[in-house]
Amino acid sequence: MVLGNYKQVVAARSTDPEILRGSQDGGIVTQLFAYALDAGIIDGAIVAGPSDEPFKPEPMVATTREELMASRGTRYSISPNMELIKEVTRSYGLDKVGIVGTPCQMQAIRKGQLYPVGLRDVPDKIALAIGIFCMENFPYQGILQLVEDHGATKIDNVRKLDIGKGKFWIHTERGATVDLPLKITHKYEQPGCHVCLDYVANLADISTGSVGTPDGWSTIFVRSAKGDDIWAKAIAAGAFETKPIESVKPGIDLVTKLATDKITKNQKYLESRATEYGVGKALRNPYI
Amino acid sequence: MSKVVEVSPTTRHEGHSKLVLKVNDDGIIERGDWLSITPVRGIEKLAIGKTMEQVPKIASRVCGICPIAHTLAATEAMEASIGCEITEDAYLLRLILQCANRLHSHALHDILALPDMYLPGTDTKINPFSPEEPVRSVAKRIQTLRMVGQTIGEIVGGEAVHPSNPRVGGMYKNITPRARAKVYDLAKMALPLAREQMEFMIAVFRNWQKRDWAEVAGKEIPIPDRFGYHNQGYMAADPVYGCTSLDENPRWFPERWTEVRPWDWYMGEEEITLEDPSYPVGGTTKAGTKAWPQMEACTGVPLYDGQPVEVGPRARLVEFKNYDERGAMGLNIAREMEYMDAVYKMIEAADALNCSGAVLPDVIPQGDGSIGWAANEAPRGCDVHLAKVRNGKVEWFSMLVPTTWNFPTCSRALEGAPWQLAEIIVRAYDPCVSCATHMIVVDEDKRLVAEKLFE
Repeated sequence: MVLGNYKQVVAARSTDPEILRGSQDGGIVTQLFAYALDAGIIDGAIVAGPSDEPFKPEPMVATTREELMASRGTRYSISPNMELIKEVTRSYGLDKVGIVGTPCQMQAIRKGQLYPVGLRDVPDKIALAIGIFCMENFPYQGILQLVEDHGATKIDNVRKLDIGKGKFWIHTERGATVDLPLKITHKYEQPGCHVCLDYVANLADISTGSVGTPDGWSTIFVRSAKGDDIWAKAIAAGAFETKPIESVKPGIDLVTKLATDKITKNQKYLESRATEYGVGKALRNPYI
Repeated sequence: MSKVVEVSPTTRHEGHSKLVLKVNDDGIIERGDWLSITPVRGIEKLAIGKTMEQVPKIASRVCGICPIAHTLAATEAMEASIGCEITEDAYLLRLILQCANRLHSHALHDILALPDMYLPGTDTKINPFSPEEPVRSVAKRIQTLRMVGQTIGEIVGGEAVHPSNPRVGGMYKNITPRARAKVYDLAKMALPLAREQMEFMIAVFRNWQKRDWAEVAGKEIPIPDRFGYHNQGYMAADPVYGCTSLDENPRWFPERWTEVRPWDWYMGEEEITLEDPSYPVGGTTKAGTKAWPQMEACTGVPLYDGQPVEVGPRARLVEFKNYDERGAMGLNIAREMEYMDAVYKMIEAADALNCSGAVLPDVIPQGDGSIGWAANEAPRGCDVHLAKVRNGKVEWFSMLVPTTWNFPTCSRALEGAPWQLAEIIVRAYDPCVSCATHMIVVDEDKRLVAEKLFE
């Protein structure tokens, strides 16, 4: 059960070359929101938009395709998208909200829907929640140190950051590539990420990430009935090109392995809190 | 030989209050004391030393029905003290909020007032919760109007109940064009409903005016001609919004306001000598019980030019539109007549709003301790907040809320009515008692008065 409940898992990528040009992998989140906006499934989406500093995300409400385009690609710092979940139904005036987030943000949104304390009139307005695979996250200062100190690259010159094949990759505008072994990134991880037992956003409507599929493609878990419906419509509209997950390398086994690794590692950390941090008990696993 | 009857608590309004009535042998009220028995809130004390940003948020918590009015009045009192003008777009957003508040509050009052009334042409009292027509569609209409008011409050104010968006200096955020379109559409949707609701309610209240009797506890109680009349004056600061001490021509005058302790205003200790176990709900207070209004009343008695005044829908209509209908039903009808203005004003303000306009000034002064006041026309009447702010901290804060003004006025309006119908007069004022509950010591003279109370 490390991959949560899902109705189907496939490999997919956007059919829109413009989206793919700036996307991290298969352009799934951008394409799905762009399709949902077009089809009237959502009025707008809370995404990790650009900010004043390069690769520092800032939550943003995208109500047009142009705004979605500006937020393509992964920044490895946390974007507190839940910060806008209430405001989006207030001064932004949206009735059907899309939101993308990490597994912890999906947990927050579902908890908010179940117990809408301080979230009056919000739960029923969440039309599509897309989760992204997440091993851990870095504070912005950590990203700066990795890129500028370890990678010896000015962050303003970076075109894309990526984690894959056991390495942290820095691609620059000039075409140079620096790779750092993941081992050295560990100390920059957010400590809070080590209590998380969810790798593939179990509570999202649809979750997606690069692991399990070749470059330029993404792995998709379609989880909820709502997600299934929207996914089927998006496929019918020709928004995505898909392949059976069995036909691609490295395949679902790698997702399972990484998910198991994350959960096993973090479970140990959780248990160690009972003894090493003097709080007297381990943190509860929210999935049991 | 007059008798004393007590209705405690009164029902179908917000907060806790009671009626102590001296009645003659025919059951006609000779002297009525309507008083708040809600415990004192203490907002004024809580406010001292807090930042000027915090106090309007605290003040809004005094009640859940017109928190918007209290937020706006307190915010503007701070602005008046520090001398801060707000931008046009911030004002428009506040105006929309104000009207949204009035819309949902008036609709709520309809639910509370209807059970006293009769379906025109019948002797059937209206049960707004009945599944049968025509009442069912009225109830649905009321709910829709309340939904519109609260949703617009939510979009513009950030919260349906205690608005988070207003702040000292303006508003935290402007709204997006999409949100403005939503406000506009909702108000447009409410427009025909508000008109139907107004016409229905006015027909119901007019029908009551024509009736000779009303049924209470199985008895037919005669309705006097001058039901709920009083000879007090009216006080209103604006037809819709309000005014502050920063205005060129303020329409509220602090120097005309004085306040009397309940000790010097209400009846002394009385023994209950009349009881009616069949009076809804649960009968009146048992004979032999003691009532002591001057000791039990939890509000001060504010006076304007030394007299109690009426505030509220009728006061606004009298002051600004030459409305002239008196009595409890005149007040109810005035309230209904305000529906349309509230909705039209929202539409106009949404039209005029520039969604990319600034809602905060460049500089917000921090205050030098001078006094500022803001009078906001809350659904129930003129809500005046007064404040002194120095270096961003509140030194002194006071709230003069609508129902506080109405307590002594309504008490006088009770005279001449059968005691069984007293609650209907009270309900015509749409009382909201919880925010009315204050003890304010204004100056040295009156502090002595307050000490007398606590001896």
